[in-house]
Amino acid sequence: MTEPQVETDMDGGVIKSRFGRDMFNDFDIDDPKFNEHFFDVLDEMVTKCPVVRSNVGNGYWMVTRQQDIRKVGQDWRTFSSAKGYMPNRPEGLPYLMPEESDPPRHTAWRRTLNPFMSPAAVAKYEETIRSDVNTLIDRFIDKGECEFVSEFGTKLPGWAFFKNVLGVPIDDLDMLVTGVDKGTFAPPEERPGHFAKVFEYLGNYLAIRKDQPPRGDLVDVIAAGVEYEDGQLAPWEDRVSVLVDMTFGGIATTTYVMASAIHHLATHQADRETLVDNPDLIERAVEEFVRVFPPVVALGRTCTRDTEVAGTQMKAGDFVLLGYSTASRDPRVVDDPTKVDIGRQTVLHSAFGVGQHRCIGSNLARLELRATFDEWLRRIPDFGVKPGTQPTYETGILRNMKDLQLVF
Amino acid sequence: MKVEIDRELCSGHGRCFTLAGDVYRSDDEGYNADRGSIIDVPPGHEAAAKLGIRSCPEAAISLVE
Repeated sequence: MTEPQVETDMDGGVIKSRFGRDMFNDFDIDDPKFNEHFFDVLDEMVTKCPVVRSNVGNGYWMVTRQQDIRKVGQDWRTFSSAKGYMPNRPEGLPYLMPEESDPPRHTAWRRTLNPFMSPAAVAKYEETIRSDVNTLIDRFIDKGECEFVSEFGTKLPGWAFFKNVLGVPIDDLDMLVTGVDKGTFAPPEERPGHFAKVFEYLGNYLAIRKDQPPRGDLVDVIAAGVEYEDGQLAPWEDRVSVLVDMTFGGIATTTYVMASAIHHLATHQADRETLVDNPDLIERAVEEFVRVFPPVVALGRTCTRDTEVAGTQMKAGDFVLLGYSTASRDPRVVDDPTKVDIGRQTVLHSAFGVGQHRCIGSNLARLELRATFDEWLRRIPDFGVKPGTQPTYETGILRNMKDLQLVF
Repeated sequence: MKVEIDRELCSGHGRCFTLAGDVYRSDDEGYNADRGSIIDVPPGHEAAAKLGIRSCPEAAISLVE
């Protein structure tokens, strides 16, 4: 960084002239200017503005430094998930379980779900995932080019999850993957309709599975439900919600890291050659890619009481975003955080969240990424971005890469 | 050397046992199997133990002695 660091800079004037908006005091996570200047804005925020303010709708705060992310994320009693992760949540939207709940209910679900997503559990899927990576590569390797996002990035995580974890019929795979793909990337007004179809399928699937003999998988335990603090079994709509939450959590997110990492390798020959020649370094590189290419920009909590973070007073009912993406670039805990350093020894990030809501799919995501880069670099060691094209992005609570034209 | 893993803070990121598997263990859920207790670091594995400490996103591991 060339500018001298100041501890805080609550005067958004400099920021406004640079980005066209006072990102510190008048932030809007959906503003196209944030999308356009994404990494630069994150770096300014984390170095100079511990608590960002947005006045959009009911308004919200965004906490940016890693130490404060930990403080907020680890204190569920003060910063509750029960009113949802989304700022200015539309009325009537059902809550996602268990993401949008607190202990003890959240804990009851996580204790039941965790064993199916542990490193040992997901390791059983490695062979299938590698096979799927190769099946997808087979489809375009002879063409000498591909559009990575639609031809690979949106498909592999969907196949991995729907096939391996949920065990849906193979014939239904394409429809589901397409549904999630369009739910993420279609024109905004069309997205809810596509997601609704996926959610309807999942509800029907859970009902069918409930009446079938158990297979010993995740779907069995979701269908059976868990006991809540009132002694009652989770209602049926909560069980369907859990299935939806798990689906929604892991597909588009993994796609973004995958596509961003492939783009980095396409444009950084030295790094690409390092990993081609030393596949044992891929695991560490995966963690750095997850750090620098954050699919989850921020997720929210609601204050249950008046409180204070980094000198900013917050009131009961205030909505607070945890800036997972800013915290992963905090120079106080990461050396030279703006640099993509695939050899970085200590990769500290918040890409999978902080606290009890830590991404349950983190081990599966890492496996998918590792298998993808391992197989891809073995089969396509030399590739670049198609001349005359560049990737385009979309940013809000989540960040997506919409397309990536490659040649090889 | 001894380290302590905080029971409440451990959230199953898995960095400790992935990076320093000779020091830290995973349980069936993918959380640190020794959370809530103090463990001995095998001699010669002090650097690995410290890497685990530095790499925990929750700062759940601390050096006891």
